Amino acid sequence: MSILATRSVHKHASKAVLLALALGGAAGSAQAFEQAPTLDAAVAAGELPAVDERLPANPLVVEPVDRPGTYGGVWRSGLRGGDDTGWLMRTVGYEPLVRYDRNWEEVVPNLAESFESNADATAFTFHLREGVRWSDGEPFTAEDVAFSLELSADESFPASVPNWMRSVDNPATAEVVDPTTLIIRFEKPMGLFLEQIASVDGVQLVQYQKKHCSQFYQKYNPDADRLAKDNGFQSWAFMLLDRCGLANEITRWSRDDIPSLTAWRVVEPYAGNASHVVLRRNPYYFKVDPAGHQLPYIDELRMRISESVDELTLMALNGEIDYQDRHLTTIINKPLFFDGQEDGGYHLVDNLLSSMNTMTLQLNHNHADPVLRGLFQDKNFRIGLSHAINRQEIIDVVFTSQGEPFQAAPRPESRFYDEVMAKQYTEYDPGKAAEYLAEAGLTEKGGDGILLRPDGKRLSFTIETIAAFYPEWPDMLQLIQLQLREVGIDIQIRTIDRTLYYDKRESNDFDAQVWQGEGGLDVVTEPRYYMPFDPESVFAYKWQAWFNNPASKLAEEPADWAKRQMELYRQIEATADRDEQDGLMRQILAIARDEFPVIGISLPPNGYAVVRNNLHNVASSMKHAWAFPTPAPYDPAQWFFD
Amino acid sequence: MIQFIVHRSLTMVLTLWAISIVAFAIIQLPPGDYLTAYVAQLNASGDQVDPATLDALREAYGLGEPFYVQYFKWIGGIFSGDFGQSFEWRTSVTSLIWGRLGNSVLLEGLAVLAMWLVALPIGIYAAVRKYSLGDYLTTVIGFIGLSIPNFLFALVFMYLGFVWFGETLGGLYSPPFEQAPWSFAKLWDFLTHAWIPVIVLATAGTAQLVRILRANLLDELGKPYVVTARAKGLKEWRLILRYPVRVALNPLVSTIGWLLPTLISSSIVVSVVMNLPTTGPLLLKSLTSQDMYLAGGIILLLGALTIVGTLISDLILAWIDPRIRHGGS
Repeated sequence: MSILATRSVHKHASKAVLLALALGGAAGSAQAFEQAPTLDAAVAAGELPAVDERLPANPLVVEPVDRPGTYGGVWRSGLRGGDDTGWLMRTVGYEPLVRYDRNWEEVVPNLAESFESNADATAFTFHLREGVRWSDGEPFTAEDVAFSLELSADESFPASVPNWMRSVDNPATAEVVDPTTLIIRFEKPMGLFLEQIASVDGVQLVQYQKKHCSQFYQKYNPDADRLAKDNGFQSWAFMLLDRCGLANEITRWSRDDIPSLTAWRVVEPYAGNASHVVLRRNPYYFKVDPAGHQLPYIDELRMRISESVDELTLMALNGEIDYQDRHLTTIINKPLFFDGQEDGGYHLVDNLLSSMNTMTLQLNHNHADPVLRGLFQDKNFRIGLSHAINRQEIIDVVFTSQGEPFQAAPRPESRFYDEVMAKQYTEYDPGKAAEYLAEAGLTEKGGDGILLRPDGKRLSFTIETIAAFYPEWPDMLQLIQLQLREVGIDIQIRTIDRTLYYDKRESNDFDAQVWQGEGGLDVVTEPRYYMPFDPESVFAYKWQAWFNNPASKLAEEPADWAKRQMELYRQIEATADRDEQDGLMRQILAIARDEFPVIGISLPPNGYAVVRNNLHNVASSMKHAWAFPTPAPYDPAQWFFD
Repeated sequence: MIQFIVHRSLTMVLTLWAISIVAFAIIQLPPGDYLTAYVAQLNASGDQVDPATLDALREAYGLGEPFYVQYFKWIGGIFSGDFGQSFEWRTSVTSLIWGRLGNSVLLEGLAVLAMWLVALPIGIYAAVRKYSLGDYLTTVIGFIGLSIPNFLFALVFMYLGFVWFGETLGGLYSPPFEQAPWSFAKLWDFLTHAWIPVIVLATAGTAQLVRILRANLLDELGKPYVVTARAKGLKEWRLILRYPVRVALNPLVSTIGWLLPTLISSSIVVSVVMNLPTTGPLLLKSLTSQDMYLAGGIILLLGALTIVGTLISDLILAWIDPRIRHGGS
């Protein structure tokens, strides 16, 4: 895979150089690359090196989606409030060592021009492009990557980092072979390592320029702490965070002097009293189009900071937003945007969401009350609930008939799709529901028509939800509440604050919670609803704690089926062979199909993006997930305005 | 008078102190703290924080300490002009608040001014020409203004602006003026944007003022001193403005202090809907993310403004009403 990718890049590069040489030769100069006209003055004045010196010897050649573009223009979009780093990561920030291809199927070169791993997935070698430079002109080398890993792995650096960087039982070490060669080693196999660093989290590995950031790092500069206190910071770590930023936080974008490797760099920072964030082209960006024109085509990004989704919506309708697929592109707004296309001069582009469900209903398998725990762990009870839910009614009422009944299972587009798993128990059948509930020991009803639990109490439990994240959830739950009443189950709905929502997981103080359906396309890396995998596997919070750290105080030994899944997943991590990984994943999914731990409702309707008609090279249909930060994998650097 | 002001200032300081304690306590009331909110947000986006990092952060932010320790740290810093750090923005609270506080005061000040300028003449007219067509008309319009929620009014305005003029009516400044220093051009730019939120904020209050003024004035107009003055041949308008209106203003003036908090709380929603760079959205956000020093700082400053407003209203009251000035003797 990596060899192929490398070869194709070489091919493009040599073609580009030849082509550019031919053109340049005709013009009587040996200039291999072209730059944006906005940089001409700076180069002529000697403030900026010539384009050939700014680009690496082997720049990454980006194939245009549609056709080669022209330079210029401002891409306008909107940010929501004070901590919307998500949009910045998805438009600009995604420049890891290796990246996903546009189909989200393979890991391909990015800052690294090639990479390989050993057979048991414990050592990964990266060959960096020679001559890539940071936005301040400093060379980008293997030293920078090793430094980023060293700092991120440092316990005394209080920052949130991807788990593998601070793993206690499988720590990573980086070895710098030469300025362009780096080996990252693990004690135990890391079969999914390349996928992890090709995801949005991968940028953590290339975000700190050693030269700039080491001066704030106590390990490298013994005076760092004093320097920090002189500048009003509590410790060196806080000053470092302020001066270098953290990829998944606002700090990354709240200064204009942090060296970066992205296509655009900050010129008007993301600050508390700013109303716009402005980014301008990075003259050292390491990518070109097939004709040797340095990317990006677009000069500037201008993002409106707004607390008001209504304002952003009106801006988009008014043609003041060039591309946006976040905040304002809700299911409710779709008809509005559809009708406004002609007046606003934009069109809509499909986003294929990775999510496989509008709502996953997760009953707490680790409930403190033994009676409820017994019921929730009883597969018959869950099947009974599933048959009692009239999914078509929910789809018609809440989602204007968009979508189809669907359990927590891989999406139809996925290579793991299994129709039985996706469709089992989805038909609305109160009779069947009653049979399964009786099978679970629920036969007696009280005077009010509500079933009695095995201990004689009235069967009632609370489903918690939050309104801020996905406004449709409370509406869906109200319909489900009525439907379940029909078969004699009383559920209470409680809408609470997101912080409390997470708090209650830690204290095991909930009956059931809901979320959306991550892992519809990224099945292997995000199996949170197919097995107790991470803290988002709310249906078995104590079991996932055991899986991730048996010594944690939350941990509880899982049921046998879940244990078997965990063994299989450890085997996935222990191999670098893709087919073997897939085979093991299918076994995990088969167990999930038989055990049916999580109840799904329906397949989410496609998302969409608002795209101005004069913006070109935007892919016509894009996959979309947090790990695959759309539109970045579709190369906004090659978008252009006519 | 001097004694009066000194006495009032002392109680003001005590009130502020009480506000600071209550505000800090209320911010701490919800379960969890900033870090739990932060972890929730990270988890939702697929990131995780390991417990060791969390503990380090908790210690660095001093979140694990008991309430009174955190409070005295905060209040001690405020005495030296340091309002602490905003967790979410990772920058000092003061740098976040100042610009926005200016916008808030300006906007709300304009709203109060607009309210009075509109309500006074209408109120007087409605009382003097009781049950006339004009009286009914202003009453109807006033009640419509009173009954439409502010945020809906703002939304309707924005929608109409989009449909009729093709304008997105958000924010307070045009892009070139956003970061520019103050100048006449910038002030004009501000006024061209600010009239909409000012109208939105002023409508409900105006209706209230009109009704109160009308009722008070109706009480006064039949009193013997008015009849006497009229019998002596004083010009009608001069007579009304000189005596009954001054007396009728008394209850209005004494509620200026209450006007400010009402305005501030109603302007939060309007600011969010219209994306105005005031303290409102910042406060809302900081409360939801439990960014307690930022929230505490804003609440404290708004509290201080309210207290100052009350003082001003008392001084005006003393000035227009001799009975108060002379201690009722």
